[in-house]
Amino acid sequence: MQRLSDEQLLEKVIAGEMAALALLVERYQPVLTGYLDRLVGSDWALAQDLAQETFLRVLRQHATRGNRPFKSWLYAIATNLARDHFKSSAARLSTPLEAEHEVWIRDEVPGPEEYILRGEQRSALVDALNLLGMEYRTTLWLRFYGDLSLQEIADALGIPLGTVKWRLSTGLRRLRSLLASSADTYC
Amino acid sequence: MNTNDRDDLRERLRELDATPAEMAAWTPLVRRLAEWPEKHITQASQRHLLSVLEQAMPLHSAVRQAIREQKPRRVTALLATARAQVSLFGLGFWLVSALITLVGAVVVLRIITMGPDQAWVLPALVLRISGPLLSYLGTIVAFRGRGTRVLELELVCLSSPLQLALARLVIVLGYDVGLGLALSLLLWAGGSGQVLALTLSWLMPLLLVAGLALLLSLRLDIRIAASLAYGSWLAFVGISAIPTFQTLLLTPALLVLPGGIGLAGLTIALLRMHAGMHRLLPQS
Repeated sequence: MQRLSDEQLLEKVIAGEMAALALLVERYQPVLTGYLDRLVGSDWALAQDLAQETFLRVLRQHATRGNRPFKSWLYAIATNLARDHFKSSAARLSTPLEAEHEVWIRDEVPGPEEYILRGEQRSALVDALNLLGMEYRTTLWLRFYGDLSLQEIADALGIPLGTVKWRLSTGLRRLRSLLASSADTYC
Repeated sequence: MNTNDRDDLRERLRELDATPAEMAAWTPLVRRLAEWPEKHITQASQRHLLSVLEQAMPLHSAVRQAIREQKPRRVTALLATARAQVSLFGLGFWLVSALITLVGAVVVLRIITMGPDQAWVLPALVLRISGPLLSYLGTIVAFRGRGTRVLELELVCLSSPLQLALARLVIVLGYDVGLGLALSLLLWAGGSGQVLALTLSWLMPLLLVAGLALLLSLRLDIRIAASLAYGSWLAFVGISAIPTFQTLLLTPALLVLPGGIGLAGLTIALLRMHAGMHRLLPQS
């Protein structure tokens, strides 16, 4: 079963095979949760919840996939869920990363993992990404973390290929400029 | 970052139609994105996710699940299914079939007493009519569920629709052919020289009527289908009784032809029935 494609596995899942579902989860849970974690600004618990909801939608709404490749469809669901999450809690999310930074600063006895997370450089990156806007963040993470091809990103986000390229290049340009200005601020 | 990663990154940036200057500026940036600390999914969280998802697995009818899980059946399993189906036929069917066979037996005994040289055209005609009558009755009884919504109940069991259809054919044809062969044995024991011709004269029409009846039942009510099949055969027998057509229609080659048509009909009907019944399965 290991050699089966995602689409073939999904067919088996729809047919009720739990082993196929376990394999799909094994293939995608880590990378999907990692993607969502980056998208929501390093909230692992939230990312895990969203990943779970993504898989639940895969099971409940498999009929809506049509002929789309499984990977693009999966990321489309995850991205929409993250976007909905931001929309539904706009007030709370207006400063989610800043709030997180405050906790880092106030916590006087950090664990080793938190210590790494508090690196100034990463903090600047998180801030810059947060300022970048959802559509650029999504595209950048899909390409440079999710390892989706340009076409897969276009399928997942339902946008033309040219728009994907534009978002990536504009996103990188803006991100660079944001990081440069934050570096100036720190200096 | 190793060479492959560097090449891969360069390729990704080139895809964006980036200028060399942009590529040089963006490369460290993308590397910083890749330095995001990786958190890991624990076995426990994967198990938890699977347990949650298990509750939401698509539900299927017990029928579809059972058919899917069923391993390929052997002949013995098919016979066991057939044995389980015997109760569907009822005492009336067995008695009527036996009565028809008894008529055949009387005819055969008459042939024996007349001697092999005597004319056997009329007894053969009786066999030609009574043989397929068995399959006419058998088909009606075995497949009566197609018109009375018994199909839905038949689907709620481990055996697939094809296996059920095969099992019933084994019963109907097996019983009918068994009875007929007993008659042929009687003929042979009595020293009749026309055993093969007489055997063909009931066996071939029996197969023809069974095959035609099942084939027509794909479109018509089983009773109408079986009546049409048997009626067609009776019409053929009637025409062949006319002296002008007798030599033409009752040649040995034409005696085998109905059996061939019947077997082809049975095969097509079973395949179509199999596909058709699966379409009737619950779709959830």
